[in-house]
Amino acid sequence: MHYTLHFGQVTPEIPYLLWGALISLELSVMAFAGGMVIGMVGAIMRLRGGRWLSRLARWYVTFFTNTPQLVQIYFIFFALPEVGILLDPFPAVLLGMTLNAGGYLTEILRAGLASVHQQELDAAETLGMSHLQTLRYVILPHIFKVVMPAMTNQYILMTLGTSMAAIFGVEELTGRAFNINSTTFRSIEIFLLTGGIYVLVTLAATSLLALVGRYAFRARVRIL
Amino acid sequence: MSFLDIHDLGARYGSLRVLDGIDLSVEQGEVVSLIGPSGSGKSTLLKVITGLMKPDRGRVTLAGAAVDYSNRKSLKAARDRLAIVFQQYNLFGNMTVLRNVTVAPTTIKKRNRRQVEEKARELLDRVGLGDKLHVYPDQLSGGQQQRVAIARALCLEPEILLLDEVTSALDPERVSEVLDTIRLLAKDNIAMLIVSHEMSFVRDVSHRIAFMADGRVQEIGSPEQIFDNPQTDRTRDFVGRISRVGH
Ligand SMILES: Nc1ncnc2c1ncn2[C@@H]1O[C@H](COP(=O)(O)OP(=O)(O)OP(=O)(O)O)[C@@H](O)[C@H]1O
Ligand SMILES: [Mg+2]
Repeated sequence: MHYTLHFGQVTPEIPYLLWGALISLELSVMAFAGGMVIGMVGAIMRLRGGRWLSRLARWYVTFFTNTPQLVQIYFIFFALPEVGILLDPFPAVLLGMTLNAGGYLTEILRAGLASVHQQELDAAETLGMSHLQTLRYVILPHIFKVVMPAMTNQYILMTLGTSMAAIFGVEELTGRAFNINSTTFRSIEIFLLTGGIYVLVTLAATSLLALVGRYAFRARVRIL
Repeated sequence: MSFLDIHDLGARYGSLRVLDGIDLSVEQGEVVSLIGPSGSGKSTLLKVITGLMKPDRGRVTLAGAAVDYSNRKSLKAARDRLAIVFQQYNLFGNMTVLRNVTVAPTTIKKRNRRQVEEKARELLDRVGLGDKLHVYPDQLSGGQQQRVAIARALCLEPEILLLDEVTSALDPERVSEVLDTIRLLAKDNIAMLIVSHEMSFVRDVSHRIAFMADGRVQEIGSPEQIFDNPQTDRTRDFVGRISRVGH
């Protein structure tokens, strides 16, 4: 009844898995960056966009935060070819993850933007700052300080979410674990190892974000 | 002509008329205070003067030049001559005290960094915060924050300083330290337009006091006139009421 762990067949595959982790990382970083752009535009639309733009942003958020991400990616993967847009698995998953992240980050950044005091903005304006200068010196630092913890969480969820890409044939960390599993059948060892690599990747990412948050934005975040 | 000259100024929020023909002037180096009931439009007047809100009629002249609030260059020229401090949340939370004071002169107005910093240190010394240069606003008391805000306003070397109830968000024991700072400045020959509910302070520091109600200046005169010998019933009423509650 006792299972004995045998890592012998699995350890030579570690470099192969680590390269897969790099692809996961790539996917999460790019989707996060794209999601931030959508999120900033969305947050501004929500708060300053007037009736219709604000509504549009709200619908977007509702749609992308209330349907499973897997369903969203399936939709992109199978619906877009119908209108003549053929995407490889990687860009299809990236697009789905980006749109999804955009929904969550709109909400996160909106909360941050709403917490900027009007008087602080008035002060910036009367001191002679342009809109762009106010954004750069006052609004963004304030937002990042406030939303850093929520943003870090979102990033971790996205890193773990990249494992969905395996379903579409992207050979990232989970996909490669599947591959090794189908030739060695040492499932427990393989997925223990894979889980361990995910932990390392997310820990590295959170520590990095926490460092940036603490020293660049004075966010109150714990490092490890 | 006066340094700041306001004639028939009007402004509204939507359909709510808030300023309804303001006439007011401030001379060079003069301290003028605005008093009046809550909602009478005092803050709105300061917002219009600083260009945070557009007037819908009337004229503001600053240092001899009429300010065109829909013209960016004209507005910028006006803002170069004035500075304003609000009730609270003046400071940028992500910058140290020193940076708060120097950010506008150095990065916006492109003045010489070393000179600006020297001036900032001197001003912060004067408001009693020479030892807090590298501290962040959330590590300061409300009164200390307001003194930094005043130092920041002064670092711009304005010709007129506008103060909107700078002590009303403070604990009573913090009020006097800020008022003392302002008193010190009043001796400096800088013009000030002060909105305040601190009547004894207003009486002490002002050259003239304007009583505002319903979006108009109802009466303007020396502190003695306004407090001891008001010329209109409304002023008498307001001053009587406010001194009874012990301000
Ligand atoms: N952002 C706003 N939107 C709509 N109405 C406003 C706004 N700000 C002020 N008002 C209204 O304008 C009028 C004048 O307000 P203002 O703030 O200028 O008064 P105030 O004299 O400064 O009063 P207080 O002594 O309470 O500060 C009030 O009736 C107020 O309700
Ligand atoms: Mg007010």
